[in-house]
Amino acid sequence: MDKKEMVRQEEIDKSIALFNDKYELAKVEGMIKDNKINFTYKDKEYRVRLLNQKDKDDLDLLRRKKFGQLIQDKDILFEKTLIALYKEKGISIEELTSKLNKLNTELHDKCFKLGEYISKGETESVLNTYREEIEEITNNIYTVTVQKSHLLEFSLEKQLEHFTIKILSYLSLEVKADEKYVKAFDTLEKFLVEDEELVEQTVSYAVSLNYKL
Amino acid sequence: MNIEQKLRQLSKTTQHQNVFSVVKEVTNLKLFKNSRDLSRLQQFYISYLYFYHDIYMDIELKKVNPKVLECELYEDAYKIYKREKKEDNKKDSKAKDVHLVFSNKKMQKPKRGTN
Repeated sequence: MDKKEMVRQEEIDKSIALFNDKYELAKVEGMIKDNKINFTYKDKEYRVRLLNQKDKDDLDLLRRKKFGQLIQDKDILFEKTLIALYKEKGISIEELTSKLNKLNTELHDKCFKLGEYISKGETESVLNTYREEIEEITNNIYTVTVQKSHLLEFSLEKQLEHFTIKILSYLSLEVKADEKYVKAFDTLEKFLVEDEELVEQTVSYAVSLNYKL
Repeated sequence: MNIEQKLRQLSKTTQHQNVFSVVKEVTNLKLFKNSRDLSRLQQFYISYLYFYHDIYMDIELKKVNPKVLECELYEDAYKIYKREKKEDNKKDSKAKDVHLVFSNKKMQKPKRGTN
């Protein structure tokens, strides 16, 4: 590819990126207007919507039932018990938590300083130094957070949270049939054995709409 | 697609800021079809409308350089600095008030047994 072609290709790539950006912005704009997210999957039209009061009651009921099951299962431990067990095996969750707290304080202090320098119109090089340091701290926070959440993944609290997200997704998913949107699956079990990609897509949209900040 | 990042991008645009300004002034105008039971996305969008409104105001009042809008990190950092500074100022003024109260008390201490 000669130089002229490369420049042309770059321009095409830029235009595509700009087009995609505008398309995504328009899509997101539509999502917040009426709290419904439409998408097509394998030639079927689906939508995820905000839960109504009846759905919220169903969610609460199913969640309570699941909690009842989990608490009777001897293999599933409360987070507190799991943390104590890890401690016996030489893995300290408290250490990870304090590491996270320290990193967050460090991040906050650096951000404060960066904000002060922006406000005072400092030079680009000073801002860049802070920017790089903040990026490094953010990466460290991400690593420790992932490490901690992997260790606590099987706690009762986390299991219940995963399950809640699945119910929430099942309750908010609808499919278009005869120009009307109807519940996509009769039962949670049917939804969960469905195509993994559809479940993942639904979970991502349902959490975006329904989870409290 | 990162939905929240896109919402932040939207709320920063002049178009959305203008709509926000009008909605704030005119009571029967609404941002969304629903007026209550806001979704997580709607709450996120509103909080960023306020966030950017505040930054644009500070730029207008020359409190900060427009460079702040160069990246999200600069925007967040500036807001953290502004909030903390405001809290510090509040603490300072409270401390001064306490000092004044004490000094006033000392000055107005009534004399006993004069009657």
